[in-house]
Amino acid sequence: MAEIAGDETPPLPSSSGAEESSLLSSPPSPTAISGDEPPPRTRKPGTKRLVLTASVLLSFLVGLPLLLKSTEIHRSPLPSDAIADLSRRLQSHPPSFPCGLHAVFLRSGPGSPVASLADQLERAISTQHHLLPASSTAGNISVSVTIQSGGGCTSSTAAASPWRCGLLTAADSVRDDEVFDELLHSALGGRDGDGMKVYTIVIAEDDDGKGTRVVIGKHRHAWVVGKVDEAEALSLIGNVFIKYFMNGGIEEGETGIGKGEFMPVGSDGNVVLSFSLLNADPNDWVYDWEFKNIGERILTPVVEALRPVADINIESQVLYHTPKSSYSYSDDKLGGNVLSMGDIPFFVNSNEWHLDTSISATGRSKVLQFVVYIPSARECPLYLQLPDGELSKTNAFISPMWGGVVIWNPPGCSVGSKKAHGTRRQMSSQELMETLEIFIGQLRQLFGLKPNYHAQGMDVATKFLVSEKGFAQWELDLLYRHHACSNLLSCVATLESLSSLVQSLPRMIVMDEIGRQVELSLEAASLAQRNATLGIGDSSAGKFGTHFIAHVRWRL
Amino acid sequence: MMPPSTARRLCFLSLLLLLLLLAAAASATADAAAAEEFTEELLLRPLPDRKALAHFHFRSSAPPASAAGRHHHLFPKAISQLVQKFHISELELSFTQGRWNYEQWGGYDPMSTNNAKPPGVELWAIFDLPLAEIDATWKNLTHTLSGLFCASINFLESSTAFSAPRWGFKLNEGNLRYGALPREAVCTENLTPWLKLLPCRDKAGIASLLYRPSVYKGYYHSQKLKLKSSQSLGIILDQTLTVVLQPNTVSGKQLHSTGGQLQPSWSMEHLFSKKLSGKCLVSKSSRVFVEIEKGIVDNVDKAGSDVSSNNDLFVLSTAPDRSLKELDNLEVQSSSLYEYDVNNYNSDKPLNVGITWKLPLIWSCTRAPYHASRFLMGSGNERGSIAMSFLSTGLDKQLVDSSNDCSIKAVVFQVVPWYVKVYYHSLEVFIDGNSKAISEVVDKIHVTPSEDKLLPGTMEMLLKFPCSMQLATLTLDFDKGFLHIDEYPPDANQGFDIPSALVSFPEFNSSRSYPEADPLFVSPLLENFKEDGVVKSYTEVLLVPLTTPDFSMPYNVITFTCTVLALYFGSLLNALRRRIGEEERGLKKAGILNKRGLIPLLIAKLRGQKVDPSESESTSPASLPRSKLLLKVVFVAVVAIVFHYLSNS
Repeated sequence: MAEIAGDETPPLPSSSGAEESSLLSSPPSPTAISGDEPPPRTRKPGTKRLVLTASVLLSFLVGLPLLLKSTEIHRSPLPSDAIADLSRRLQSHPPSFPCGLHAVFLRSGPGSPVASLADQLERAISTQHHLLPASSTAGNISVSVTIQSGGGCTSSTAAASPWRCGLLTAADSVRDDEVFDELLHSALGGRDGDGMKVYTIVIAEDDDGKGTRVVIGKHRHAWVVGKVDEAEALSLIGNVFIKYFMNGGIEEGETGIGKGEFMPVGSDGNVVLSFSLLNADPNDWVYDWEFKNIGERILTPVVEALRPVADINIESQVLYHTPKSSYSYSDDKLGGNVLSMGDIPFFVNSNEWHLDTSISATGRSKVLQFVVYIPSARECPLYLQLPDGELSKTNAFISPMWGGVVIWNPPGCSVGSKKAHGTRRQMSSQELMETLEIFIGQLRQLFGLKPNYHAQGMDVATKFLVSEKGFAQWELDLLYRHHACSNLLSCVATLESLSSLVQSLPRMIVMDEIGRQVELSLEAASLAQRNATLGIGDSSAGKFGTHFIAHVRWRL
Repeated sequence: MMPPSTARRLCFLSLLLLLLLLAAAASATADAAAAEEFTEELLLRPLPDRKALAHFHFRSSAPPASAAGRHHHLFPKAISQLVQKFHISELELSFTQGRWNYEQWGGYDPMSTNNAKPPGVELWAIFDLPLAEIDATWKNLTHTLSGLFCASINFLESSTAFSAPRWGFKLNEGNLRYGALPREAVCTENLTPWLKLLPCRDKAGIASLLYRPSVYKGYYHSQKLKLKSSQSLGIILDQTLTVVLQPNTVSGKQLHSTGGQLQPSWSMEHLFSKKLSGKCLVSKSSRVFVEIEKGIVDNVDKAGSDVSSNNDLFVLSTAPDRSLKELDNLEVQSSSLYEYDVNNYNSDKPLNVGITWKLPLIWSCTRAPYHASRFLMGSGNERGSIAMSFLSTGLDKQLVDSSNDCSIKAVVFQVVPWYVKVYYHSLEVFIDGNSKAISEVVDKIHVTPSEDKLLPGTMEMLLKFPCSMQLATLTLDFDKGFLHIDEYPPDANQGFDIPSALVSFPEFNSSRSYPEADPLFVSPLLENFKEDGVVKSYTEVLLVPLTTPDFSMPYNVITFTCTVLALYFGSLLNALRRRIGEEERGLKKAGILNKRGLIPLLIAKLRGQKVDPSESESTSPASLPRSKLLLKVVFVAVVAIVFHYLSNS
């Protein structure tokens, strides 16, 4: 409208304000029409215009707070500075857990050892720690050395480990490894408790001519048996400590714990292990299992061992009519049907395998599926073929963060075997136990550990004692450290992304509840970091942090 | 002294042995009971209106065990975990599409009393929990079920959607919750998760007959899940699916034109487009029943022949493995059952039971004592009334002596959402058209009035009708409430559904008995029929049109306000900016100098000013404003382009 009004004004006098004001100031002369001079006003502008202008201004001013109020958005203030600070702190000082290395030299010779020798060895071991990779979660390592010989013990000044002098001699090392492991455990105080983790490596001098060998026990210790000189012993100590106790035997370039892999643990710290027995075609045969007794018996120690990392529940079910969704081809040479590695991504048939997420797994728990697949008579026996043409020894595979599958060929099934016409059979307990052992190996792999160790990279024979829990104490330490660390990092990553999201969207509503949750998780994360450096909490503090963060995620 | 002591010892030993034996026997039975079981059954029945009823019944049972919810072989893990988590002692969930025709399909048999359900979703559950925790548990339960069955059962979460009847629905101690969603559409996405609970799903066994196009083409479709859990019995899960289908026979089409048979002859293949090729291998028993109703049985008796699978009136296409006689609660033979064991059939020899009629036959089914229906009265968007009528079906004449003081009891249970504000004091009762005092008819009444946006209104009423009564009508007035604009569902103009009311007749029992069946013959389907079943019928769903707001109102308000503001500011600016006196003077001057543009010229003309034609003829000075005009146009164009460019970049 203003423009139309502008059009209506005569084009002759340009309608700029300056000239207008000059017009107003010029004396009124109604008759002056000659020349280019604009016609002057006849009378002064009255108060009417002033009132109008004021009313426009006033109405605008009155409306302004209303407008602002109506478009107001509630944003709870987020402590973005504190979050950035925490993230910087974590980047400059990644969470590290202090631990101790205690070397024990068992000398067979008589006489009391020289005290200065222990200190000298301690210094020598300490210098080796620059070998520690940067990705390791281990922080400052305190080294102590004890030398025991016939005459008594000498410890270096910083000895932290309670070594019971004289309880164990080098001669004991010729015994059975399992026995020696327990003996050693009792000699070291017999505790697997919390507090600073001290790893003990015992060098037992024993000249039986069988050569040097290294045994890594179920607890936090390893021992070297054989005739080794001092330099060799030092390098072995460093090697075993760094390679296994700190890194779980995972080489550079391998996937595994501490290599960007997440742990399959829900953000509330719960894991459900759901075991399913799948009968691909019950028309051929129907198998059932006695999971309740055998499964619980075998898995309970594992569950107990992993309790500090995750709360694990076990469920089982039997399903029928569950064909696989990938093709296998018959191979006469191998005497069965073969499934190549490339077909494995299509093996899990999500349409027909209603494995179910568990109702009892509340909220953000993680469900890991472990599936025993019984092939139908047509595809039996079914083998997994490795890329190099060999058949898989376990006939099983894992899918990270999902679970594992074992293909179990029922006994007496061969190419062209007759259909048993729906006979109902029971999986024998021996077979079930074997399958469960494969599952425990898969669980180790899912948690980022190696399913089993072969002594690669060690120049001496290495033996690993297998714990009935599935996880040795030092492996559990590794899991705790990694879990706490990854929890802390993911917590900070979530907080950071949340804060940057809130900052990038200035019109987003942020509830008070979320602000509170962010503050809580920030507090928990700082606490976790402090505890980690003190070496107190295994993973509990970190767990809190992510728990709150998951809550925030959910609220958003 | 010796003999007595040895005798005592012997006695003691034998007692010990006996005890041991007993213990062994007990452990053996415990072992037998400790296994999870699954049975599948199907009942087919011809209906008087040329349709056929198919009732699928699957029972899974889990023994009581400490590992319940964790280790299962046949029983669905999800259900077991549900029971454990929510401490359910009983639960029933039904999804129904269509309305059970009580007149034609029966109203006085176990099928109609137990398996006829109101349209939409109905859920009730009895919890084994302290009363204070029940409401919260119910809310969690609705969410879990809604996830499990891909349905919007979670709408029952809100306290406006469920109620806690004490005796009108089922006698309980306050731990029962009832909710219904009459408008829930039921389709195959609800059936698939339901089938997942069966060990063989629809891959084998009786459930393989569930060919979706034929099942959903039917007139009535009700899928139900019933759970019973106790410490002593474990969990029993009954899954039933009741469908009323039109047999898809070629001759059935001709029936309309030719005066041939009144009833179409059909077989399983006509109903489901499939034959039954064997049982689900893990099922303990797998049976198909064909039920011939009392009406037909009476006709066969009249015709003088024996009620066998091949008689004067009809013939069953396959000879049954067993036939059973069914007695109703008055020990009168009601119908015949023919049983087929699916174990004897396989894919080479599929089972295709059918019925072929030899003579045209008309029969009717037994009906409930009263036909209950519910309707709305009144007009307008302000108030109305709900009326419920009970029309005698004449059954009571046969059953009860029509002495003067005889009466028939009926229990009415109805839940009304809060936005239909029922005035319970306005209850009026008319018997055979005459108004009666409420105290004469209503024996017992329990009302929970509705609270706005908080509680639905619940009414439980025990009525006593005289036996000679033909028609009773109850009316209740109500006001229609207003909802907030956000609370209206999509398509609010369609109206709001009030869930079906339930009418039960506690003096009439629809349970059946099978005297000829041998005691080893265990059929969960027939067990359900044997159970004490009070005759029940659901009324129609009511559709109440509510006042709906003009949903475009916010838009209208915005446009009106903007128009008013634009007018105000526009005219204000105009008034501020224009100086009419000067304009006129300017115009005058411009007119003399002939420097006016086209628009002022037009305006001047419109205002009635004279334009001197001689002045406009002098063309030489007019070239200057024309180029000026051109410049203006170019300037505006450049500004527009620059603005466009800037705003785009």
